[in-house]
Amino acid sequence: MSKLTKEDLHFFLLKLHSLTGIVPIGIFLTFHLAINSLRTVGVRQYQFSIDLINNLPFLFGIEVLFIYVPLLLHSALGFYITFAGRINVRRYPYYHNWMYTLQRITGAVVFAFLVYHMGTTVVPKIYYGKELFDAAPFLIDAMNREFQTWGGRTLYLAGIFSAVFHFANGLWGFCVSWGVIVGPAAQRNAGVVFILFGLVLGLLGAATVVEFSLHPVPVAPSLAG
Amino acid sequence: MTRETIALKIKRQDAPGAKPYWNVFKLPYLPHANVISCLQEIQRNPVTADGKTVTPVTWDCNCLEEVCGSCTMLINGRVRQACTALVDILEDPIVLKPMSKFPVVRDLQVDRSRMFENLKKIKGWIEIDGSYDIGEGPVFPEKIREKAYALSQCMTCGCCLEACPQFTLTNDFMGAATFSQVRYFNLHPTGAMNKEERLEAVMKSGGIADCGNAQVCVEVCPKKIPLTESIAEIGRETTLQLLKNLVLK
Repeated sequence: MSKLTKEDLHFFLLKLHSLTGIVPIGIFLTFHLAINSLRTVGVRQYQFSIDLINNLPFLFGIEVLFIYVPLLLHSALGFYITFAGRINVRRYPYYHNWMYTLQRITGAVVFAFLVYHMGTTVVPKIYYGKELFDAAPFLIDAMNREFQTWGGRTLYLAGIFSAVFHFANGLWGFCVSWGVIVGPAAQRNAGVVFILFGLVLGLLGAATVVEFSLHPVPVAPSLAG
Repeated sequence: MTRETIALKIKRQDAPGAKPYWNVFKLPYLPHANVISCLQEIQRNPVTADGKTVTPVTWDCNCLEEVCGSCTMLINGRVRQACTALVDILEDPIVLKPMSKFPVVRDLQVDRSRMFENLKKIKGWIEIDGSYDIGEGPVFPEKIREKAYALSQCMTCGCCLEACPQFTLTNDFMGAATFSQVRYFNLHPTGAMNKEERLEAVMKSGGIADCGNAQVCVEVCPKKIPLTESIAEIGRETTLQLLKNLVLK
């Protein structure tokens, strides 16, 4: 490619913003909610899956490269896009304008939620050196505590539903922006499919929250660390 | 119900950058009147409801049949052409404001040259001659002509931009009308000779990637142009062009 100008970079970064929302962030969100929903099947299955993740080789590198960096990039560009526009849904209250508005609001909510969520899980995990088989009891203990109060439950439900909406609607936006769905019928049908997808993800998240709230079972390390 | 008078509340501004103010005018009711004929009435007798003689309200208009787009303004908060805004079906008082996304020249007149500049950037024309003969144009398939006709109706009125949450007075977003014109000129067999240049003109700051898919443009377009289809189509073409540029250039 010829020399990259500032104008080209702008286009490039916005494309990157919509791409990172799907790969890797959206894929991560899907796996995150799906794996956590194993908690509804049983504590052992859940602990086993967390052990599996926390014993991955190069875990910290994977997390930085495939979660933290894309997430920061996506957030920074997202706020830039939000502040470049001016919400006008009160004057023009059409369906997709509502989606546009909610996409920006949920993005901001998820960002605030993630600061809290990571600040209470990942940060202390690293700070106290809870690695390998020590990670699961530490994280499960933290979650058990979160879901003891209505404040914690509300916070997590708001975070999960915002993230799920942002991802499902973002998938639709991605497909329109990249020209995967072009005609009005295709856009409408894809909208229905993504709503169903969002409902399934939201249900997984909600079920996990309910299970944690009802049965806060403490666990010990699976193997001697 | 017979109406004796109608009221017009108009947001006015004497010069670019001057402080806006409001005037209310009371006019005798006439059946089948439109906003333009009311403004003409004010021009004849520029006296406000409280009896003050003021300078006549200025506005732009030309064709009076909703094909030129020049009389676009905010009527009762909604962006539309004044010529097709019939007083009989408008709520009283009729509130007139200049478009908010373009700099005001005076009263209801705005400067929409940003749209013209964008059309120049995307080469909103078909090259038919140059320093050499490019020959006869290819045949235009009927199916494509039909599609192109819908897009050709754009009158650069700016409704789509006024209603767009991503288009503001200060940013550089090009907006739906421009993207749709890229599609229009690229659909033409001769116009397609400059396809890449047009696509690359919208692969920049303010270009197609800035679109947030709020899709208000298509809702307010007075010509019912399939703007969101154009946006997705240009989104597809620019995505392919990006990949092409990455591997071929």
